[in-house]
Amino acid sequence: MAKRTYEVMYIINPESDAERIEKLNDAVGKLIEKEGGEVIRMDDIGIRNLAYPIQKKRTGHYVLFEIDGSGQEIAELERRMRVNDMIMRYITVRVDEDRKKAAAIMDRKEARAAKRATFRPSKEEQETTSEEAVA
Amino acid sequence: MEMINDRDGLGVGEDVIGDRPRRYQRRRPRQIVPDYLDWKDVDLLRTFVPERGKIMPRRISMISAKDQRRLAKAIKRARSMAMLPFVAD
Repeated sequence: MAKRTYEVMYIINPESDAERIEKLNDAVGKLIEKEGGEVIRMDDIGIRNLAYPIQKKRTGHYVLFEIDGSGQEIAELERRMRVNDMIMRYITVRVDEDRKKAAAIMDRKEARAAKRATFRPSKEEQETTSEEAVA
Repeated sequence: MEMINDRDGLGVGEDVIGDRPRRYQRRRPRQIVPDYLDWKDVDLLRTFVPERGKIMPRRISMISAKDQRRLAKAIKRARSMAMLPFVAD
């Protein structure tokens, strides 16, 4: 099964207890491991202002997960997040393809720069080569 | 009030089309879009979202069509997570 990387972010009701939030985050991590995924990064961003009110609240507790897996655990996770009333919003974004594309662009840029360096050497080198040609 | 000068060569000026001069201003921030555009990078995305909250048109930001598509997607993702407004007034 192809390995995929996902970013999962969710917003928790800011009025919930810190203890319950921690429990929830632990549960998410455990669920992923159980379903065969791997948590690469877990970032409890904390309370942030929302750009617009959600469920009449102006702030939200943001949590970000980065997960490696097959996609199966994402399906299960999303299903559970949907029914959890502490979670006000969630989003899952698959990031591996975009990262790969970005890396490819980066490689191409580097290759082009290297090529340019060989074809169009700096002035000093140019002079030496032309002298060689004369000789 | 009439402060039209092409100081930075940004394509600011006045055209006479028909009977009245029409002012034009083309902004060219030359803001580059990174190869990996992170939808969580609100500060970067904000540079493409003017006060009203709308996505800046390509003709203003002068970015490529491909970049605009990527950018629009990132902004929409950020919006759905309340990191950017749908409408700001």
